[in-house]
Amino acid sequence: MTPRLRRLLQAKTPGGWVATIGIYALALTWLYPFVWMVAASLKPTAQIYNTALFAGDWTLDNFRFLFATADKLDRPFLQALGISALVTGTVTVSVLITSAFIAYALARLRFPGRKLFNDFLLLQMVIPTAMFILPLFVLVKELGLLNSLSALILPSAMSGWGIFMMSQSFRALPEEYFDAARLDRASLWQTVTRIVVPLNTSIIAIVALFTFTGTWDNFLWPLIAISDAERMPLSVLLATFSKQYGGYAGPVMAGAVLQTLPLALLFLLFRRQFLQGMALSLK
Amino acid sequence: MIRRAAISREAIVGLTLVGVYLAYTAVFWAYPFFWLAKLSVTQWRFFDDPVFVGARNLVRIVQDPQFLGSLWNVVRFLAFYLPLAFGGSLLVAFGLQQVGRGRAFVALCFLLSNVSSGVALSLVFLKIFSTTGPLNNTLYDAVGIRIPWTNHPTLAMLAIALVVAWKFVGYYGLIVYSGLLTVPKELYDAARLDHAGVWRRLVNITLPMLNPQLMMVLTFAILVSFGLFTEPFLITGGGPADSTVPPQMVIYETAFRRLQPSHAATMSIIISLASYLLVVLARRLFERKVVIA
Repeated sequence: MTPRLRRLLQAKTPGGWVATIGIYALALTWLYPFVWMVAASLKPTAQIYNTALFAGDWTLDNFRFLFATADKLDRPFLQALGISALVTGTVTVSVLITSAFIAYALARLRFPGRKLFNDFLLLQMVIPTAMFILPLFVLVKELGLLNSLSALILPSAMSGWGIFMMSQSFRALPEEYFDAARLDRASLWQTVTRIVVPLNTSIIAIVALFTFTGTWDNFLWPLIAISDAERMPLSVLLATFSKQYGGYAGPVMAGAVLQTLPLALLFLLFRRQFLQGMALSLK
Repeated sequence: MIRRAAISREAIVGLTLVGVYLAYTAVFWAYPFFWLAKLSVTQWRFFDDPVFVGARNLVRIVQDPQFLGSLWNVVRFLAFYLPLAFGGSLLVAFGLQQVGRGRAFVALCFLLSNVSSGVALSLVFLKIFSTTGPLNNTLYDAVGIRIPWTNHPTLAMLAIALVVAWKFVGYYGLIVYSGLLTVPKELYDAARLDHAGVWRRLVNITLPMLNPQLMMVLTFAILVSFGLFTEPFLITGGGPADSTVPPQMVIYETAFRRLQPSHAATMSIIISLASYLLVVLARRLFERKVVIA
């Protein structure tokens, strides 16, 4: 046994090693549903339930079915993917821009009623959003926006939570940066985009990630607001497809992969900011 | 003079930015709030004019067996979910403490379920739990039985609780782990001198010191239990015999299937109050001020 290996083995007690291996095993088990989903999406439907996880005839037929054949069943998946991307992108960009500016005002500008506004945001965050779904439907109906993309975008275009989280982080910046900006007669736009944003990428990444995930995977609201398959985002189209054609297990799993993929990629891409931001939000 | 001009300009910019949000919130938050209040005391069926009926909506829904059943389902869900949430989060937290260098990797494995799609994974679990699904196939090969996960009221609720726990345990675990980091090492050293065993140290030091984090997990768990919709809707459809119907699904069906938005509005107010009261009650009962004396 090499000395290095021996030192490694002695770093923990035998019990410690068992616990470590156990937790790694549990962590990998946690990924099992993802692995099963991807495997099932790549197998013919007839083989999904009766082959081992990594056995079977691998094929891309399920994805081909989703993009080509499902159209004829009045289930336009490619279009739904586009709608999801458009809606989620717009909402995320809108939330980020409005939150950054309003949070800057709340954190760094002196104006009457600032404390009151802060308390109001806290109040809004305490009241559960699920309560608003029905009256929001009434509002969107009155505005004549049912079955339109605006119905999916407008109600989440700004976020009190986003403003609150960013303002908490902006408050911690040293005043010297802003003194310098004032001396240089920096405009509001310059102050926010050149000073505040570059110094707070971690919290902005967190707000972006949560807004993106929440909008992309929103289910109840689009289920109510959109009844026309032509306008459905992927989450709702996939669910209605599964209810009606549950027997097509392969294509359903391929759709599930599509629905999961952007979220998983973003999460892996921004994993460092995410873990940092979690630590921030837990303080 | 110049100073005052600068301040007032700052105030104008601040008020304008905040004003934009307040205008937005007036339309998409305050107005719906007003409608919710109005709906709860009127009779309205989407197309006619609302007629004032006072407390009649309230009287009607407290007699609605499906609504009362859904409240009872919250209790049944919590009975399964709370042990899973607490056990799981402690396991993850102690695990993270144990692994050392691979900590970020382990945390990411547990967190992926938290940030990925609830819709997609509900459909995946629908297949995993099905009679011929991989879980039952494995069980059948091992011990020769199949479990009818979605056909039995108690098992169906357990299945839902397992899926939701799978989704949130990583997040809860991270919360508890952040608490573990703040427990002073000296406490354990002192306990060792007093010959306190592993179990005594856990019950008398670790758990009391983690009270704020465990309270946070309990609060989140209560909020999750009242907000549940996607998982039961897609995995069990509320069945068998309404045994897994969550309140949000009753509200949805009352408003859009039975076309009784007034009743649904009253229900959502009751549900929000109930979840708030349960959180307050839980805090009263279990919250402790930890003082190291």
